[in-house]
Amino acid sequence: MAELQKDPITRKDFLGFGVLGAIVGAILTIPPAAFVLGPIIDIDARGQSDVPDDWFEVGSISDIPEREPQVFEVNFPVEQVYGQKESQVVSDSEFAVPNAIWVSWKAPILERGRQGSLGDILDEESPRRPAFLDEWNGEPLTQEQIGEVTENLNVLSSSCAHLGCPVRWTEGKRLFLCPCHGGLYDINGGWFGGPPPRGLYRYTYEVREDGNIYVKHEFDVGGAQGPQAPYVI
Amino acid sequence: MIGRLRTQALETSKFITDWMEHRTGIVTMLEHFLYEPVPKRGAWLYTLGSATLFCITLQFLTGILLLFYYVPTVDHAWDSINYIMNEAYFGTLIRGIHYWSANFLLVVIGLHMAQVFFSGGYKSPRELNWVVGVVLLLLVIVLAFTGYLLRWDQDGFWASVVGIKIGSYSPFVGGQVTHFLIGGDVVGPATISRFFAIHVWLLPAALAPFIGIHLYLLRRHGVFGSEFEYSDRLAKLHERQRLESYERYEEEEGEPYVGRRDRADRE
Repeated sequence: MAELQKDPITRKDFLGFGVLGAIVGAILTIPPAAFVLGPIIDIDARGQSDVPDDWFEVGSISDIPEREPQVFEVNFPVEQVYGQKESQVVSDSEFAVPNAIWVSWKAPILERGRQGSLGDILDEESPRRPAFLDEWNGEPLTQEQIGEVTENLNVLSSSCAHLGCPVRWTEGKRLFLCPCHGGLYDINGGWFGGPPPRGLYRYTYEVREDGNIYVKHEFDVGGAQGPQAPYVI
Repeated sequence: MIGRLRTQALETSKFITDWMEHRTGIVTMLEHFLYEPVPKRGAWLYTLGSATLFCITLQFLTGILLLFYYVPTVDHAWDSINYIMNEAYFGTLIRGIHYWSANFLLVVIGLHMAQVFFSGGYKSPRELNWVVGVVLLLLVIVLAFTGYLLRWDQDGFWASVVGIKIGSYSPFVGGQVTHFLIGGDVVGPATISRFFAIHVWLLPAALAPFIGIHLYLLRRHGVFGSEFEYSDRLAKLHERQRLESYERYEEEEGEPYVGRRDRADRE
């Protein structure tokens, strides 16, 4: 220490070393940091997604029963690492995330519940399925029919809103049950019991003239928030 | 004849040992590392640290062996493990040791920490070693978590989804943590690559120096409760209790305490 004090560094040298150190430090740290944190830059800063912003077919509205939810499997292609479109020229190995999507007709709500305390009280008796579907033979739907169907559908993610385990429908209880921590949801996806902080996530969906439901890989959380990108799966 | 052979063997081994000691100092080093005085009472409890180190060594060795067959891709990960379990020679044994020693490791670490905690081994001057031990525990937990996904089966997949979702609840940086871990916004090829890199390279590379620091600090301060330290502290405790009992006596009786024999003489 004493030796160092005999040869004091000048302010100019100090600043010079500081600037040089900052430049060298940046050169050494920015590339590896950006390399490792690439997904955060792409998704959180640039708003990109691994799943294309397309509509994916779910299934026909005629397959949905009156009072039970119907599960459909949709494979969302994932463009990630070797699943990139460019590399598929030489490789067929496209990775897709199979997602279970629960679709049901909305049950009318008699009384609104309160999150964390009481679930909605539903009208289990009145019909839910649009009447025209009883005689529908697959001809193109009119705009009025599309509107009626769209208004009455629940298109729900199977991922529990708590920690993401896949929920299943229990016929006896007429509830969705999460096997991990016992989260419960009604047929509309509303919170009914257990640890989930909200109801099941609803996909952004549309019904087309061919009578099929199409979804995007995003959740419609309503309000001013706009669509929300699903976490994890 | 046998006696001469025995003498020759002893001389040869002594020559080799001396030769190695002269050049590397390995005998002194081994003596230093292998022999550590521990308290007489509960001596077996002091093997838990060594048991932890043994389990970690098993993890390293069997992990290296598994790498000869394991393929960290979404379309081959499960198949490669299936191959290890059903086709590779002793694959079931090697993976079984890796799996069970990982489970056992967490149990042994828990017991080791309990032993250190209840014996007061975290107190001055060993606080830093306790902190290093906690860091090691966290590293081992993350190792166990990242290893789970590599199987790429339903169990591992959903357990990882749940774990990642727990990470998403982190305040302020939940989304970023999730995206960093899964290498995108959905679990996919990037996720298994990342978990593989973290499990096989990043965490073991972090674990090794921390084990070194842990052992160095253990050697520097010794095991807490060595006989001298233990009896010294006990003597101090008994002395304090004795003085407190005198004070209580004086308060209750209102006269100074004068030993049992003195009291009998006086009466």
